[in-house]
Amino acid sequence: MIGDIRKATAKIAERFKRRYYGRTFRCPVCHLELALVDVNGNRLMVCPVCGVVLDVEEVYGHTVPVVLDVEIHRPQPKTRIHPLATHIPIGLYPFAVLGAGLLAIASILGPAIPGLAPLVIRAPILADATLVLLVLSVGFSVVTFVSGLRDWYRRYRRRPYAQIRLKIVFSVIFLVLGGLAIALHASGAAFSATTGLVDLGSPLAIALAAAELGVLCAGMVVIATLGHVGGTLVFGR
Amino acid sequence: MEFNLSPEQQEAVEKARTFTKQWIAPYATKYDRSGEFPLEICREAFKQGFMNPHIPDEYGGTPHRVLDHCLILEEMCTGCSGIATAIDANGLSQYPVILAGNDDQKRRFLAPMTEELMFSAYAVTEPEAGSDVSRVKTTAEKVGDDYVLNGVKWWITNGSVASWYFVLARVDDKPTGFIVPADSPGVVRGPKEINIGQHASNTVRVTLEDVKVEARNRLGEEGDGFQIAMKTFDHTRPGVASGANGISKAALNIALSYAKRRRTFDKKLISNQGISFKLAEMMTRLDAARFLTYKAAWLFDQGLDNAREAAEAKWFAADVAMQAAIECAQVLGGYGYTSEMPAEKLIRDAKIYQIYEGASEIQKMIIVGKLMRMKEVY
Repeated sequence: MIGDIRKATAKIAERFKRRYYGRTFRCPVCHLELALVDVNGNRLMVCPVCGVVLDVEEVYGHTVPVVLDVEIHRPQPKTRIHPLATHIPIGLYPFAVLGAGLLAIASILGPAIPGLAPLVIRAPILADATLVLLVLSVGFSVVTFVSGLRDWYRRYRRRPYAQIRLKIVFSVIFLVLGGLAIALHASGAAFSATTGLVDLGSPLAIALAAAELGVLCAGMVVIATLGHVGGTLVFGR
Repeated sequence: MEFNLSPEQQEAVEKARTFTKQWIAPYATKYDRSGEFPLEICREAFKQGFMNPHIPDEYGGTPHRVLDHCLILEEMCTGCSGIATAIDANGLSQYPVILAGNDDQKRRFLAPMTEELMFSAYAVTEPEAGSDVSRVKTTAEKVGDDYVLNGVKWWITNGSVASWYFVLARVDDKPTGFIVPADSPGVVRGPKEINIGQHASNTVRVTLEDVKVEARNRLGEEGDGFQIAMKTFDHTRPGVASGANGISKAALNIALSYAKRRRTFDKKLISNQGISFKLAEMMTRLDAARFLTYKAAWLFDQGLDNAREAAEAKWFAADVAMQAAIECAQVLGGYGYTSEMPAEKLIRDAKIYQIYEGASEIQKMIIVGKLMRMKEVY
């Protein structure tokens, strides 16, 4: 079962990579997956992880990277804001998703199971906590985004890397999704401002709650991918 | 004596090269690591007309020459010999039908393969009968108008995707060829064998348990099977040799590209005589192997006996490929020993050419057998 899920995920990731990265190869030293399109006009590229200078040529369809040099002294960020800040949205966001999920479950099961009443009464607190978590995680993701860009300028000298392109695009997507989720949650149209639950009698409220949950889940996939890609840039393969 | 390729051959080579660079080489590592069958690539190969080149034109194929096929196969094996084997393995099972099949058999089994993507497999090898094909133990017992087959076939290429098999079995101790549809009750396909190389090629065990085969699916007469199986190799061995040449070409290209760019002792690697001589030797051996291969194919196309030349080509090209792959790894140094560079895959892939479709020692036996019938060698 787990094997099948892993296979399916790998297949989706493979398709995604083929579509957006194009042809890839691995750094022969640290094994990081690099995109052939990132090789510059002189066939050179510097591995973002291990710093080897590669001369990459396609020979009869095979990619042959040749190590020419190693960048020993690489610019290091003076203040490590990005790696510190990045843990805040990644750490808080799943709890915001969990909060919204619990509110949705409580909205459905609350009327049916009287035993849940003491918990359902406290739903507004959970709704508020969810909003706070969302605001904090999305707010800190702005800091993460800006500090990440700064690191790209300094540490990676604005060199094109598929991973960094992906991180920039996904960060913007996350900000948009996060902003949307905050707007929906804060408006009280999806989860009522007074009860903290979804008004099951209103089709609009149900639709908006479903939309919020959908946006939150999509954001979860995006932020997980961002974390994974960021990890590969630090630790390699 | 003409060494140039005709414009049509040149065009076919260019087309195969483009296909290789676009569809085979970029996915070689992926399929090598996953061991999956490259169905998508086969589909594209079928679309572009690279599959089933052996089928005669009256059954939906195209006019075919073994030499043309060798040229194309060499290109495809330069990308990945495992994927190329998956694409080309149909030929080995189709040829017994082309050689000994009647019109009805050709219409039922060959013609459909030109209309849609289908696979077939040559099921002759058994656990105790590889090079010594005459030892096959699979039995075919005549029951009424049908035959009932029992036995185990091993290392059957394309075995788990095939729609039918060419099976060699004994009828009263006489080796006889049969076409066995894969959906016949009693045909059991085993799991994929984990070989050291050519991971994209699907190699499985096929067990035949009381498999009923109609008499109309028997190829030739009872007892013709050994001749059919052996004659097939005269046709296919130049192709196998050209596959080995593809590996040699890939090894040479990779080693050359690396040697021209890698720097050592303040100069390019290729400036060191020890390295440059390796490349010169690889090129010369590749050319020699190619000429043997092309001659064996050309003889077949002329309708002449090519058994000796096919054996020479297969043996020599296989050894050249093995040596070229090892030398490629040597030129790449430590990188040649890592799995991120293509050299190690070439070594794993090349080895099988010294073993399948008659091991190198069998090829030498064929050559000596021919020599023994000669008074003088010209």
